[in-house]
Amino acid sequence: MRISDYIEQSVSNLRKKKLRTFLTTFGVVIGIGALVSMFAFGKGMQKNLTDTFNELELFNYVGVYARSQEDRETKPPEDPNSQEGASRPIPVLDDAFLLSLAKVEGVEWALPEIRFPALIRLADQEEFSLIQVLPADICQAGFVKLRAGEFYTSDEENALIISDSLLRRLKIKKPETAIGREIEVSTLTVDFSLSNLKNIVSFLKGTGLPFSKQSYKFTIVAVTERMGMSGPMPVRSDVFLPHGTSQKMKKISITSVSDIFQSMRPSQGYSAVGIKLSSPKYVEPVKTQMEESGFETFAMLDQLEEIKIGFRFVDLFLFAVGMIGITVAALGIINTMVMSILERYREIGIMKAVGASDRDVKKIFFFESGMIGFMGGVFGLALGWIVSTVINLIINSFAVRQGVPRMNYFSFPWWLCLGAIVFSILISLLAGIYPTIRAARVDPVVALRHD
Amino acid sequence: MSSDSFVATEDLTKVYSSGTVKVVALKDVNLSLEEGRFLGVAGPSGSGKSTLMNLLGGLDRPSSGNIRVQGKSISALNKEELALYRRYQVGMIFQSFNLISSYTALENVAFPLLFAGVAKKDRAGRAEEMLTKVGLHPRKDHRPSELSGGEQQRVAIARSLINRPKILLADEPTGNLDTKTSHQIVQTLSDLNKDQGLTVIMISHEEPLLAEFADEVIHLCDGKVVERETIR
Repeated sequence: MRISDYIEQSVSNLRKKKLRTFLTTFGVVIGIGALVSMFAFGKGMQKNLTDTFNELELFNYVGVYARSQEDRETKPPEDPNSQEGASRPIPVLDDAFLLSLAKVEGVEWALPEIRFPALIRLADQEEFSLIQVLPADICQAGFVKLRAGEFYTSDEENALIISDSLLRRLKIKKPETAIGREIEVSTLTVDFSLSNLKNIVSFLKGTGLPFSKQSYKFTIVAVTERMGMSGPMPVRSDVFLPHGTSQKMKKISITSVSDIFQSMRPSQGYSAVGIKLSSPKYVEPVKTQMEESGFETFAMLDQLEEIKIGFRFVDLFLFAVGMIGITVAALGIINTMVMSILERYREIGIMKAVGASDRDVKKIFFFESGMIGFMGGVFGLALGWIVSTVINLIINSFAVRQGVPRMNYFSFPWWLCLGAIVFSILISLLAGIYPTIRAARVDPVVALRHD
Repeated sequence: MSSDSFVATEDLTKVYSSGTVKVVALKDVNLSLEEGRFLGVAGPSGSGKSTLMNLLGGLDRPSSGNIRVQGKSISALNKEELALYRRYQVGMIFQSFNLISSYTALENVAFPLLFAGVAKKDRAGRAEEMLTKVGLHPRKDHRPSELSGGEQQRVAIARSLINRPKILLADEPTGNLDTKTSHQIVQTLSDLNKDQGLTVIMISHEEPLLAEFADEVIHLCDGKVVERETIR
C-alpha cells in the first residue's frame, strides 16, 4: 500500500465514526492543550526572567558586602602561615573605597546601597516603602527609564522620584499628573526628647520603642517606569532621593533585623556597594579583586546556572502534571482502537482474504492512531494557545491595575509547537501498539464466519 | 499426485483443537486438478468442505500434509508470502458475499488493488472494467445493502478477479440465492472457466448445479474424499 492510501484509508475509517473520533481526539486535544499551556507557562517564566535580567543588566552587576568582625574571626586566612589575616584591618566600604573603584577596569559606576523605610503620603493616600538614596550623577547615567518628568540634577534638591507602580497604589493613574506635586515622606528616628515622653516611658517599661516620626515635604520631579523589585540592580526601589538631601533627614536605615544589630556597632561605612560593570566579562575579575581585598561578593551571573537547574525541575514537574492528561487520552485511544477492531473484525478478515498482510493491517490501524494523534496535536496546540492567551489577558488586566507592567506569561517557541504535534503523534502510536497487534492477529477464517 | 497438476494436495490433514478435544476436519485428502478445470466439491455439513477451501485459499494452514499450486508448496510459505499468494494467485467468493457494507460496489471491487499498491486512478479504471464484465457497471455507486443477493455475489466475483488470479475458490456461492440467480452465478463462473481458462473450485450443496457445470466433482464425508467423479 502507498502512504497516501494509508492516510486516505485512516481518514475515511475515522470519518465513519465521527462522534467517537471527535470524542477520542478531544481527549488528546485537552491533554496536549494542557501540556502545551503548562510548558508555555514554564518557558514564558524563563524567558521573562532571562529577558528581564538582560534588560536590567543584572549579569553586569557585582554586589560587594563588608565582612563582619565575627566572619573574619571564624574564617581563617587561606594561607595558614600568613599572619596577615589576623593583623590586617577590616576593609571598609566607605567613600574612599568608592573612589578607588573608578580605577578598576570594567567598572561603570558604583553606588552605596542606602535604604531606609518611610511612610509615603500623597493627598489622602499612604503607602510604606523603602527609599533608596540615588546620587544625581548616577541618575543621569540613563539606566533608570522615566515615564514622566526629569531627573533631579543636584544632590541637594528637595526632589523625589517615584515609581509608576507606587503611584498607582497611591491612586494616581496618569504619571504626568504627579509631576510637581508635593509628597510627604515620614521617617522613623530615635527620639529621647521630652516631646517624645510617652514613647520613652513605654520604652523604659519594655512595651514600646523610643521612636518618633519625622515628616519631610518633597516635590515629585519624575516617575520611573519599571521599578519596585524589578528595577535594575543595584537600583531597586519605588522611591529615590538625592544623596545630599537624604543626609539632612533624620532617619534609621533599618531594613531588616540584622541592620539593628549592625547599627549597635561603631560605624563601619556602608553595608553594601553595588558595582555596575560595562560587560559580564568583568564580573569574575572584579569579584576576585574584591574578595582578595577582604569583601564578600554576590553576582547574579553565578546564580544563572542554579536558576536554570531550578527551571529544569519546574519543566519536569509541569511535564509530569501534563502527562496525566496525556495518559488518560492515550487510554481513550486504546479503547477507541480496540472498539474499532471489534466492530471491523469481519472487515479485517476480508482484508486478509483479498491479500492484505499482517503488516498492512497493522499499518492501517497505526495510521488511524497516528491520525488521531496528529489532529489532537494540531488542535491541542491551538487550544493551548487560546487558553494561554485568555489567561494572559486576565492576568495582565489584573496585574496592570496593581501597577505591574504588562508582560507575556506564556512563551510558544517553534520547537514547542512542533514538539507538541510530534509528541501527540508518538503517544498515539504508542497507544496504538496493542490494538494494531490485536488487529494483525485476527484469524481470517474466524473473522469471515463472524457475524 | 500427478506431476503436472495445477493444484494438488498430499495427505492434507487439518485438526482443530479446543482444549483437550481434537476435531479432525480433514484427513489425508489427496486430490489433483489440472489448470483450467472446474472442480465441484460436494458433501454434507461438517464434512470439511470449507476447511479444504480455507486451506487452498491460504487463509489457514494444514496440520499436516501439503498443498502445491503450480508446483510450489504453499504450506511452506511464511505469513508475508501467504498474503502475496492470496493477493495474486487465488480469488475467493463466499456464501455471505463478504462485501464491506460501507463501500460502494466499485470501492469493494477495487479494494484488493489497494494492497497491491495500484495507484488510485488506475484502481477505479480497473474496477469499472471488472464490474462491466459481470454486468454491474450501472450499479457501481450502490452500496451492498442496495443490491440484490445475485448482484452482491457478482460484485464479490468481480473483486475476487481484480488481481487476475489463476484460481477462483467459491465457498457455497449460491447458498443465499434463489434457484434462478444461483444458476446465473454458476453460469458466470463457468463462463470465466471456459473463456479465460480460470481454474474454478466450487463448494455446493446443489449437486444438479455441479453436475451441469463442473468438470469433476469430489464428495467429502467426515473429512475424507469418499468419491471422485469426472463428468467431462
